[in-house]
Amino acid sequence: MTISTQPDQQANSRIGKAIAWSDLISIAAAVFVLLIISLIVDPYLAYVATSWVIFGIVGLSLDLVWGRAGVLSLSQTAFYGLGGYAGSIAAINFSYLTGNTLIWSLPVGMLVGGVVAAFISWIIFYGRMGVLQTTILTYTFTLVLWTATVSFSTKVGKAVVGGDNGMSNIPPMILGLGDAAKQLEPNAMLVTVVLIAAILYALCKALAKSPFGLIIDCIRLDPVKAELLGYDIRRYQLILFTIAGGIAGLAGSLFAAWSNYLNPSIFNVQEALSIPIYVLVGGRGTLVGAFVGALAVGGLSFWLGGGVIGGQTTLVMGVCLILLVLFMKSGLLGGLAQLFALFRSKREAKQAPIDQTEQRVKIDFDLLDKIRLHANTNSQSVELSSVDALKSFGGVTPVNRVTQSFKKGKVRCVIGPNGAGKSSYLKALAGTYKLDAGQIKFGQRDITHADPFDRVRQGLGIKMQKAQVFDDLDVRTNLWIAAYSRDRNREEADRVSGGMLKMLGMVAQGSKPASQLSHGEQQWLDIGMVLCLSPDVMLFDEPAAGMTKDERRQLSQLIKTLSKSAAVVVVEHDMDFVRTLDADVTVLHQGEVFAQGDIEVLRKDERILDIYLGRRKHVQAH
Amino acid sequence: MFKDIKQIKTTRRTVLGAALGLGVAAGFGGLSRAFAADDIAVGAIYDLTGGLNIYGIQQSRAMHLAVDAINAKGGLLGRKLNVIESDSQSELPKFTQYANTLILRNKIQVLFAGLTSSAREAMRPIVREKKVPYFYSALYEGGACDKQTFITGASASQQMSVLIEWAIKKYGPKIYIMAPDYNFGTISAHWVETYAKQLGGEVLGSDFLPLTVTDYAPTIQKIQAAKPNFVVTLPVGANQTGFLEQFAAAGLKKQMGIVSTNYGSGNQQVVVSPDAGEGIVASQEYFMWIEGAGNDAFKALWKAKYGLDEPIISEAASTWNAVNLWAIAVEKAGSTENDKVIAALESGLTFEGPNGLVTLQPKSHHLKQNIYIVQGNRDHGFDVIKTYESVAPSFEDEKCDLIANPATAEAFTP
Amino acid sequence: MEIDYLLVVLLSSLTSASVLIIATLGLAVIFGLMGVVNLAHGEFIMFGAYTALVVTRSGVPFSIAVIVAALVTALFGAIVERVIIRRLYGRLLDTLLATWGLSLVLYQSAVLIFGSVTPGIGMPQSNVRIGDYTISSYMLFLLGVAIVLVLALYWLLTKTGYGIVARAAIQDSETASAIGIESGRINTMTFALGSGLAGFAGAILLPAVPATPGMGFAFVIKAFLTVVVAGPVTLTGTVLAGGLLGSAANIVASFWTTVAGNIVFFMLTMGLLRLYPNGITARWNRKL
Repeated sequence: MTISTQPDQQANSRIGKAIAWSDLISIAAAVFVLLIISLIVDPYLAYVATSWVIFGIVGLSLDLVWGRAGVLSLSQTAFYGLGGYAGSIAAINFSYLTGNTLIWSLPVGMLVGGVVAAFISWIIFYGRMGVLQTTILTYTFTLVLWTATVSFSTKVGKAVVGGDNGMSNIPPMILGLGDAAKQLEPNAMLVTVVLIAAILYALCKALAKSPFGLIIDCIRLDPVKAELLGYDIRRYQLILFTIAGGIAGLAGSLFAAWSNYLNPSIFNVQEALSIPIYVLVGGRGTLVGAFVGALAVGGLSFWLGGGVIGGQTTLVMGVCLILLVLFMKSGLLGGLAQLFALFRSKREAKQAPIDQTEQRVKIDFDLLDKIRLHANTNSQSVELSSVDALKSFGGVTPVNRVTQSFKKGKVRCVIGPNGAGKSSYLKALAGTYKLDAGQIKFGQRDITHADPFDRVRQGLGIKMQKAQVFDDLDVRTNLWIAAYSRDRNREEADRVSGGMLKMLGMVAQGSKPASQLSHGEQQWLDIGMVLCLSPDVMLFDEPAAGMTKDERRQLSQLIKTLSKSAAVVVVEHDMDFVRTLDADVTVLHQGEVFAQGDIEVLRKDERILDIYLGRRKHVQAH
Repeated sequence: MFKDIKQIKTTRRTVLGAALGLGVAAGFGGLSRAFAADDIAVGAIYDLTGGLNIYGIQQSRAMHLAVDAINAKGGLLGRKLNVIESDSQSELPKFTQYANTLILRNKIQVLFAGLTSSAREAMRPIVREKKVPYFYSALYEGGACDKQTFITGASASQQMSVLIEWAIKKYGPKIYIMAPDYNFGTISAHWVETYAKQLGGEVLGSDFLPLTVTDYAPTIQKIQAAKPNFVVTLPVGANQTGFLEQFAAAGLKKQMGIVSTNYGSGNQQVVVSPDAGEGIVASQEYFMWIEGAGNDAFKALWKAKYGLDEPIISEAASTWNAVNLWAIAVEKAGSTENDKVIAALESGLTFEGPNGLVTLQPKSHHLKQNIYIVQGNRDHGFDVIKTYESVAPSFEDEKCDLIANPATAEAFTP
Repeated sequence: MEIDYLLVVLLSSLTSASVLIIATLGLAVIFGLMGVVNLAHGEFIMFGAYTALVVTRSGVPFSIAVIVAALVTALFGAIVERVIIRRLYGRLLDTLLATWGLSLVLYQSAVLIFGSVTPGIGMPQSNVRIGDYTISSYMLFLLGVAIVLVLALYWLLTKTGYGIVARAAIQDSETASAIGIESGRINTMTFALGSGLAGFAGAILLPAVPATPGMGFAFVIKAFLTVVVAGPVTLTGTVLAGGLLGSAANIVASFWTTVAGNIVFFMLTMGLLRLYPNGITARWNRKL
């Protein structure tokens, strides 16, 4: 582990950058070995193995959405099948023009797979469906296609889509143009498919490493936080789903050319669920695991199909699936990686521990100014206000007709006893709760119905009560993602996140996963992420929780400084901390504004003590 | 289920290799070496597991039975038959894969495979290109026409022509059709209409059902509203036998006849209750209950090896006929060379099978064979009520002439 | 259109909805109370059907066989929960996959044990005449069964100690564990309850839908959709969604074709899900 003490550009520049040379070289090496094997194996094995590689490509498309974005789609085979049908129809009708088949079937298959996937994901993600609903809906989509296609017969040009009897006479893989076009022999077919798979894999890998891929990672780890950083997560999910659908569609047209035949069984249950198995066996989220899984399962199934174990393939596969899920959730590759990690950690344990210098936050006003300057916010004061905001859940009304407005200049603290509706009010401001009645305005704009990401883009920043960091990403990347959201500029994100890392005193921990930070450090990191956005209005929900006295002092100073250029709202429990903020105070009680004013004045108010201590008399009077 | 011991031994060595996939799986190449060089390699792909193994297991059993009988008599041309069998697991892509594998790896001389039309359609182009005679033994909607493909099951028109004739005579001219919503159902329905028109009948209505339906109340109501003389029902898959229960329970059997071309082909008569099954009329090329020396001998062989707990289905008899017809052709050709075997198969072969005399039509590659009309009894069995002898596959004979047009590769639809 | 036909269609659409509700309740209970989707639900139905079949054929009256089947399937469900589901809490999608693996295993085991064909027990040959039409008494009886089942479940979940605790556990699992509710035991019981309901469904539907290894598949697509459309409010949601989707499909099928009925079912589902992504009851206050 090397740690640079300077937050230099060098260390940062890897984040969000395209695929590294080392990755490309290892892919090239693997492909080279595979190509050699492809050329020397028996034709029949080359033939069968071709299908395994194709299944691997479908697995890759699932791993993109499941492993990377955390959405288990059971409709990959639907895109695969539709792509296959569409690609084949194109090849049957147009291949006579060029002699070549793949030049027609691959793009058409990809397009159709992608378009259908885009439509499905529009329903799912723009409807903001839950994870489970998504899986069930995609599963159903596949099954509906299956039942619908068995009775669907039509003719498209020269292609006959013959219901359950399928589409026959699909041209094989033919490469070369015009007279030079010739049908691929099994080994050549395997070589072609391996090459296509390698290209797709390299593209997916590059995508995963790009800022887009990082944002997808964030959505998987914490979709709410990703949205609160200003990313329209629906759009990202839709794009990813569309890409995955395109890849599946392309695989479908390869499969059709491989088998020369397609029928609705491509949409059936076994097909739909064998894809997650490939991914699980290989290792979820690794991308290459899909291929490992497809080869392993394909090989196993091939061998079982030969009649071994009394032909109990279904039984064996079912048991394998249960065992895999129970005992090997990270798959073959994951298992290997764990073994390797175990070995390495033993070795590293012998090395001397790295000197952990006491780190502490040092507010860098210069940096904050620079962020603000670059963020280019309008200099006139922006005002966030709520008018008669109302939110209720069943019988409880945590936000009950609250009218408030927040401006820069002085910190505003929102206090109140437990259950007073403080956090709910902040969530209503941020948009994670949608109001039942009333209005929320940002400057002149009515944002009552705006999505959270939209409000963040307008200039809102919120730190929720529980520190929200992306656990599996390292500290530096956490900040980088936040900084990148503001103006989608990689260099600028490098600079801002580097500076912020230094300001938070976390340079030494820059490459640690955020989950390894202490509670207080996670709070700082979360605050740092909000600062990277440089919002005009900042909402902090109990920011001081879990901090040391010294850190609280720093925080208090930071908040006071921020309030000079932005509206700052702090929900706090700790009265001593509130006092250090020199703030205007709003007291919430049972969802309503109970009192408002200077902290010192309010401290003398008996009624407020009553509600804090649960004494009833003044409460009733109110 | 039935595998060659030698095959297992060889394969065991490749266990690890297979699991790791590509590179090491090359060890499969060793398989073919396990067989004696002059054996005739016979390929078979049936659904031994999964949803279709109701049929696949019996097809496989019949195939092994026939091959064993031939081997017991010394094989063909003095060479032993060696079966290499793959389990397609009721998954369609497996047919493509195993058909190619058996041809490329095991150099099979003949292929017996498949139950569904889609399986046949998937393999038809492969055997055509690789020139391997292929036998499909299941009742189906008809129309397949391809040089290397031979069909020993009955086609829809073949069964339907006699069934509709019999039913109109017996019940009257008004017909209602309940059919599964895919090729088999829609094409069969077409034949019902055609023959009804020819014979002065009338189709009052039809309902096509997806395979996942379990609630037949709407269909039953529509049948009651139409008031037909008889219903043609073509239940596919286990779920659709539920229709027969619900039909009987609604009291409709007293009001109208119920006939089918595929009821019984998957032992549906075992699944349905006596109340629902009694009186259902079916027509097929074979039922276990038909009389005749051929069937007695076949049943005796079957019973000795597998027992008779489960009634033998028509697909089993068709598979037995397929293996034997091929064997006759090889003996006649004196060789396993493709051209010679195909020529022999197209020479008007006949064979005395469990279901009586069958004739392989040279032009259409379908069988002229008996069609039996039977009626369900209360013991989950059938009583034979009429035999139509040597019914020709008229639609296929009319459309398909592989001697004049050997390049034809089609699945004709009416 | 004659009035008797309309009446028959109305009645049969209600029976269709009843069948759907009977087949879905087990899945809905497990989903609603545990947040787990049991992809092996169809095979649990099949399990119940075979159990009832075996018990009936050993000479026990059918009515008792149904109870036995429900109990045996519940016991089996409890074992499954202990052995598999329990290890996967918090891993929603893994639970899906594991239960799918289980469905394959159950399916193939049924093929091995019972073969592909087993004699059914048949429906009582009695029917009710309405004008020109007859409708099977047993189908009408299923309508009553659905009503009784829903009421019994309502009673179980509101009036018994188990029900109150189980519902408390979904509303706030942290509080529930804080006040000493042993959530593990409750989950086992909930899963057993859901499995038992599936087993009951298979058994009670056995006369109309013969037992075959693949029988579960016919139910699951619609059952999954019904549960998803129903949303978090288990009982009311399932009855509403099942009633709506089941009878709509039936009515369309009666006046048009069965295929059209199916298409209407799926289109309605898609439409409802677009309007209520987390189910029609997602914003309701009530919890049952």
